[in-house]
Amino acid sequence: MRAMIVKEFRELRRDHRTMAMLFALPVLLLVIFGYAANFTIDSISTQVVGPQAEQVAVVLPPLFDVQGTDAAASSDEARTLVRDDVADVVLDTSTTPPTAYVDGSSLFVAQTASAALGRAGDQVRTEILFNPDLTTSWVMVPALVGLILTFVGTIITSIGLVRERQTGTLEQLAVMPLRPADVIVGKIAPYFLLASLDMLVVTLLGVWIFGVPFRGSPALFALAAATFLFVVLGLGVLISTASQTQGQAIQVALMTLLPQILLSGFIFPLQAMPPAISWIGYCLPLTWFVKVSQGIMLRGAGLDSLWPAFVVLTGMAVAVFSAAVLRFRRDLAPARRASAPDREQVPA
Amino acid sequence: MPELVRVEHVTRRFGAHVAVDDVSLSVEPGEIVGLLGANGAGKTTLIRMLLGLTTADAGGLRLLGRVPDRSTRRQVGYVPQGLGLYDDLTVRENVVFAAQAYGYDVPEVPTELVPVADTLVGAIGLGRQRRLAFALALAHRPALLVLDEPTSGVDPLARARLWDRVHAQAEAGVGVLVTTHYMSEAQQCDRLVLMSHGRVVAAGSEDELTGSTTAVAVDAGSWQRVFAVLDAAGLPVMLAGRAVRVAAVPRDLVERVLHDAGLAADVRDVPATLEEAMVALDTERARTP
Repeated sequence: MRAMIVKEFRELRRDHRTMAMLFALPVLLLVIFGYAANFTIDSISTQVVGPQAEQVAVVLPPLFDVQGTDAAASSDEARTLVRDDVADVVLDTSTTPPTAYVDGSSLFVAQTASAALGRAGDQVRTEILFNPDLTTSWVMVPALVGLILTFVGTIITSIGLVRERQTGTLEQLAVMPLRPADVIVGKIAPYFLLASLDMLVVTLLGVWIFGVPFRGSPALFALAAATFLFVVLGLGVLISTASQTQGQAIQVALMTLLPQILLSGFIFPLQAMPPAISWIGYCLPLTWFVKVSQGIMLRGAGLDSLWPAFVVLTGMAVAVFSAAVLRFRRDLAPARRASAPDREQVPA
Repeated sequence: MPELVRVEHVTRRFGAHVAVDDVSLSVEPGEIVGLLGANGAGKTTLIRMLLGLTTADAGGLRLLGRVPDRSTRRQVGYVPQGLGLYDDLTVRENVVFAAQAYGYDVPEVPTELVPVADTLVGAIGLGRQRRLAFALALAHRPALLVLDEPTSGVDPLARARLWDRVHAQAEAGVGVLVTTHYMSEAQQCDRLVLMSHGRVVAAGSEDELTGSTTAVAVDAGSWQRVFAVLDAAGLPVMLAGRAVRVAAVPRDLVERVLHDAGLAADVRDVPATLEEAMVALDTERARTP
């Protein structure tokens, strides 16, 4: 038994990935949970509109972080500001009493805002938009679509690609007269299609079983999902190029998946995190997809308000997918690298 | 017809380790060239460079008269050590995939594999897997066949059959480059290239490699005792039946070791076998700085 224990420790000591999971991951989780696992909202982005906007803005409690006022805006424009995610709460002073429009697609923010507004009694009327009953599943389903795409795109794809390397068939593919592009597209396209099918099924089930509304453009949603898929598929390919076995690929993929679950605003609200942690969240693709999917499905938002998220996702897709294809191509056609300078010197 | 393979002064390093060091070789149509050497001699790295799977740091490689590319690879049949088959596809599905990848009409499943045509490759025996890998490597009628340890783990009968097929291909004009560390297989080759520590230490026919090299044969009453004493002295001792043979050392050294151990034996020089010649060449190479 002693021999087994000693052997196991020796193996573990040399397995850097497992060591990282054993020691670095718990510390990372502790830090992330310590800072990110917080449902308490200290600040709610707020706009005040209507004739009394300036006066009301200065008397609001500090919880409501007033980011702008517009004395000329109408009630319809106030609702549009919420739909376009300009603010989580828009206080319209053109009505009597003033009406607070609250974004119900930001669940914890909406709960905090309506509780605070409720304390004002009859002085303000609260109207929760897009998710009037603050149903959790309405907020979770659009985010879950992104999580499922991440799971298929990153974990399943990396496992599938590493299988080729592990069994030696990647080498055989490289020897066949296939263009690297044929191999890359041939390998990735099935996962793209399967993930798209998964996305469709989950979205339809979410709408059918949980009654989640789909207020926006399905085409825009599909475009966002496809863009996001390129990011997560690229991550999967990158992980596969850095892994020798399926076990290694799963380990690394989980390490990329976990921060996305915790820091994308999917579970813990980004507004409740300290800036340093929420910035990490803003560097993760799932954060932006969740913004887009919740925006389209729940608020019916369009490209005019969602374009920043589309730009970020597209940038990530181009960067990650290009890096992935280049690395995968290098595995398939290493001879094309300029590292054999005098290969041409051999006389024919 | 041009040389199928031409490698000139090729070197490949992995960090400080020189895996292939200034190696040159060629393969003609219809010729079986055996690349011999112990594990780590550089055989597989050389083949991987030839196929474009890894790059050369220096030197030149030509495949069918050209720098290796997609069109030259179309004329190469390759059976890697790991066979390169899809375990989760059936035999027939592997055949179809190879045909589509190379762009030829899907052929019939080889006769001896018909009973397992619809069985997953991972569920059939190693001998049949090798037969399938060999059939796939030949299906597109390559001009050059590259076999990396083709009979590793194969029983003697299957090994003999596989070599029959290799000879049939060579007779049809296909050039064959085969790596092996089985001496019995080396004798199947027309020409041998012996690699040691990344370098070519000898090249030629079996006769040319053994040449005037001798080994030391020892006859004694107790061969077990003789073997143990010589082995304990660090000499490269081998058994041929119950005869003890020592390669790559002078006869007087063997006599001295036996004398010091108080053993009486008949010690004489004999022509070296290929394996003994290889040990001698390898030892000589290891002594060379």
